Amino acid sequence: MSYDRRGGGRRRYRDDYDDRRREYHETPEEKLRLSIIKFGEVDALAELPRVEKQIREYVPLNISNLSEAFRFSVTEQPYKIPYYASLLRALHEQPDASDGPSLGRQILEDLWKGFQSYLDKLAWREARLCIQFFAHLTMAKVVSPDSMISLLQAFTSVLDEFGVSNGRAKRAAMCAAEGLMFAGPVIKAHSALAVTDIINAIQAYNDTMSNPTWLVQPTTEAHQESIVFDFADELLDTILRALRTLNESDFSEIASIIPQPYASYPEPDSSFSPFNLPAVLVPPEVIEIDGLSVDSETDIQVRKEEWPEFYVRLFDNEITPDPTTPTGYVIRTALLDIVEIYEVNRKECARLLLEYPKWNLPGAFKPKPGAPVESDPVEGKDWQLESTILETILGAYLVLPAPSGEPLYYSSLITELCKLSPSTVGPAVGKSIRKLYGFLSEGLDVESARKFAEWFAIHMSNFNFQWVWREWIPDLSSPVQHPKRTFIQRAVEYEVRLSYHDRILKTLPEAMQAPDAYLITERAPGPNFEYDDPSNPYHESAQTVLNLIRGRAKAEDVIANLETLKTTLENADEPINVNSVVRSITVGSLLHIGSRSFSHLLNAIERYLPLLRSISSASLSTSGGGGSPEAKADILTGVASFWQTNRQMIGIVFDKLMQYQIVDPTDVVAWVFSQETSIGEPRVLGGPSSIGTHEWDLLKGALDKANGRVVIAKRKVVALRKEDDDTRGRAKATANAMEVDADKPEEESPTVDNPQLNTALKALSTLTQEQKGVLARTLEGFVAYLAPSPTNHRANPATRTVITVQGWSERANWGSDEWAAWETWGWYRHFCRAYSPYLRNYTNTLSAVSFSRFEGASDPAAELLKKTWNVATGQA
Amino acid sequence: MAHVVQPLDQPSNYKDSQARVDRQKQNEMLDRSSTLYIGNLSFYTTEEQIYELFSKCASPDHGGGIKRIIMGLDRNTRTPCGFCFVEYYTHAEALACMRYISGTKLDERIVRCDLDLGYKEGRQFGRGKSGGQVRDEHRQDYDPGRGGWGAQAQKLEIERRREVEERYADTTGIVANGGGDWKETETISATNGKLKRGRSPADEGDGARMGQRARMDDDVDAERM
Repeated sequence: MSYDRRGGGRRRYRDDYDDRRREYHETPEEKLRLSIIKFGEVDALAELPRVEKQIREYVPLNISNLSEAFRFSVTEQPYKIPYYASLLRALHEQPDASDGPSLGRQILEDLWKGFQSYLDKLAWREARLCIQFFAHLTMAKVVSPDSMISLLQAFTSVLDEFGVSNGRAKRAAMCAAEGLMFAGPVIKAHSALAVTDIINAIQAYNDTMSNPTWLVQPTTEAHQESIVFDFADELLDTILRALRTLNESDFSEIASIIPQPYASYPEPDSSFSPFNLPAVLVPPEVIEIDGLSVDSETDIQVRKEEWPEFYVRLFDNEITPDPTTPTGYVIRTALLDIVEIYEVNRKECARLLLEYPKWNLPGAFKPKPGAPVESDPVEGKDWQLESTILETILGAYLVLPAPSGEPLYYSSLITELCKLSPSTVGPAVGKSIRKLYGFLSEGLDVESARKFAEWFAIHMSNFNFQWVWREWIPDLSSPVQHPKRTFIQRAVEYEVRLSYHDRILKTLPEAMQAPDAYLITERAPGPNFEYDDPSNPYHESAQTVLNLIRGRAKAEDVIANLETLKTTLENADEPINVNSVVRSITVGSLLHIGSRSFSHLLNAIERYLPLLRSISSASLSTSGGGGSPEAKADILTGVASFWQTNRQMIGIVFDKLMQYQIVDPTDVVAWVFSQETSIGEPRVLGGPSSIGTHEWDLLKGALDKANGRVVIAKRKVVALRKEDDDTRGRAKATANAMEVDADKPEEESPTVDNPQLNTALKALSTLTQEQKGVLARTLEGFVAYLAPSPTNHRANPATRTVITVQGWSERANWGSDEWAAWETWGWYRHFCRAYSPYLRNYTNTLSAVSFSRFEGASDPAAELLKKTWNVATGQA
Repeated sequence: MAHVVQPLDQPSNYKDSQARVDRQKQNEMLDRSSTLYIGNLSFYTTEEQIYELFSKCASPDHGGGIKRIIMGLDRNTRTPCGFCFVEYYTHAEALACMRYISGTKLDERIVRCDLDLGYKEGRQFGRGKSGGQVRDEHRQDYDPGRGGWGAQAQKLEIERRREVEERYADTTGIVANGGGDWKETETISATNGKLKRGRSPADEGDGARMGQRARMDDDVDAERM
């Protein structure tokens, strides 16, 4: 099935039922609202008189309906804001010179209330877009410059707040900056001082951000002290540079950047009094009282954004606008707003993005191939729309530590764009891929590289896996751990997971199929039950266990059999770790019968939970409590060995073993850091310990599991507390009501402890401890890898050289050890910044344990470990 | 944000004509549902392929993840017949799939996601006359992914067919649960040697084994695309 088939009937099945929903008729008020929302879709200037008339003539007058329509339009169709400003300007006139406030003023007054409520909710994007609207109205002389300046100052004052969070400051700065940009000419003419004050306030804040900026830059050049970027720029930096440029020309340039349709309106007469925006105060952030007061899902969301935002730049200034210029900033922000707002409907989003030139000035973008040339290209503009869109979407996707939206959204959006206009978007995708691939050897951050591979595979999965692999063959001569080679390997592996081995193998050129390319295994990534081999010394024993499990023997019978097996093995001559062998056989056998599918795996695990619990204990025989760490490590080793050619399955089985509480997240982390070689195949044997992407995925799985459990436990406590309060409230009310009849003492109200709540609180405290343990174990693991003690025999010798300036400059000669060390450093950085909100809760204890051994010593690795940690935990 | 466009995460108007719960109750269930119905799968697509794509909408750090996948099977042959259920731990994850996965390709077919009332025993089987889905009963067009590829790739598909044919031969109708929320391990240690048949911690509250009610859902999946 291809995407090309379009047109009738595609959604037929959706509407087969319940046709009544569609027969719904709009009320006249809704119709009016709709014509405001749809205003400008054909030709705004021509439509304006008609819509204005429609609004004026509609009876009865319903201001809130009108202002709501304006508010939705401004906040959900920001590309049309200049035209809504024109419409409001027109409604602000009093054609019949009647008394009383004009229609425009009444709408604006009501709309202001809407703005205020966005602000109260700290809905930053909506508030910012309203400010853009007010800025255009200032230009249109509807809003007074003084009140506009005060509004912007309310936002810059946020930057001076003590302990303001990055996320809050960043958003407040954007509000002030964009208001200033669009109303600049009027504001500057009114008060040049106000302009410099706003710019200086943002600059002063940005000056304090150099350390966090260092941690989220998209290059893993660990040694870099000062930050120099060739291929990325930071949001506040671009804002400041754009504002400075505009200020130099007294903001006159803005007229050549965005449409100002109201500019042609005649000067208002003297009776026309501008609207004064009321004074506002940006409400303070919601402070968590005990970490339980707000919904956990939103609270993590807020924290996630608390970093400077770097956007990767993929094209030259002639192809896409330079985001550090005013035009570039405005265009990118406009596109980003569309991307964010239309997240609920990626198909509409793609359409709107491709229509964006309609809302910018003529000549900004090259006309579509074959389309009539309606305007001459403008000097310094004439950009490629599709490349600009791709650069914007990928830039947002690759923001570190995580994009603001769901990662998959960006991939799906690009897919929709390709489906809408394959001939123009396709080439832009190809160029973006090549450009990002080129960055890999320039130090592209490891997490950015991982996300790149993930997008690549999903994209190819949607477009027949067609990629010109051939052009990357020369890179196979680099060391196996070189970022370009690890990228290709990962991209191929992800493709195989989405498709199947033989399908992907066929798409690769021969050089990439070869075993020594380490890109793809020769055979499909199937299970590997080592005891299947008759020459294996435990073949017979394993067959017995396997047959019991295959025959669905009771768990206790299998356990009894293991006891016998253990005794037999103990009497054998060779000195072996009997328990380990028995565990390996058992895990292998269980996975063997669960290897047909994910569901089979779950069934096997569920049927034999007692067996798994039994082998996770130290002596195999008791099914007691928490089990022993060695036993659990044996189980994990058994899994990794059974699925050695299928890393996806290793991840899945680990996840479910944690889910069923056979192993704990801490066991997984400890196991990952104890591995002598990289996990899974294809792999090169013999390298020193390091953390690559696959190891990171396993660590992440464990960390997220531990953190997710705390989230669930918190939710439970919050819900139970609320329930408790409600019950108490109700009981009290009843008690009070009864008091009328009989004088009962106050104590009657129930103060009995809620046993469910107590259990939930206890679970929360246990899980919080576990969370702390997982974080501590991960930090400890990285510290041991990156600043190894001299006695560590499997330490990577390169961890200290790759972080020096000289080391990095010699990377052309790096071998696999160096690149492996470099990647491990990269994942450490990512661990610190991605889990920073959690790490901050335990800063002191964790650093005391992990960093104490460095005291007094001068070790560059220790210095960098500590610096990264301090920046991530907000101590530097 | 839904004043200007229709969000993609709305459940379809699909109505189960045999359901005993009324429309309003169904809507309430869908508003909380963490289960998705996935349609238009290739018969050859494996659970692991499904897992790979749908895990991209999982949010384990918010307590989510893929709970289980239930492959839709031909009633007679016990082979995949082109649909499945994906069950997450949270509603938000299911919504994310509606927004970002539904309408994109998996195994080179455009798959469709729909919020679902939740899996019940028996729903994994197709209800078409010949055992598969109803839509394949009446289909007029030639659809290679649901019956065999043409020419060059046919051989590959036969290979894969052989693998999948065996896979579910042992199915008992009992479907695993996927594991519940974290629980204190004390209860586990309390069994102390006295072993019971293992159950997932979440099983008790789930009431998943509703054999006698399975019939009400008989045609649900079969009718869907």
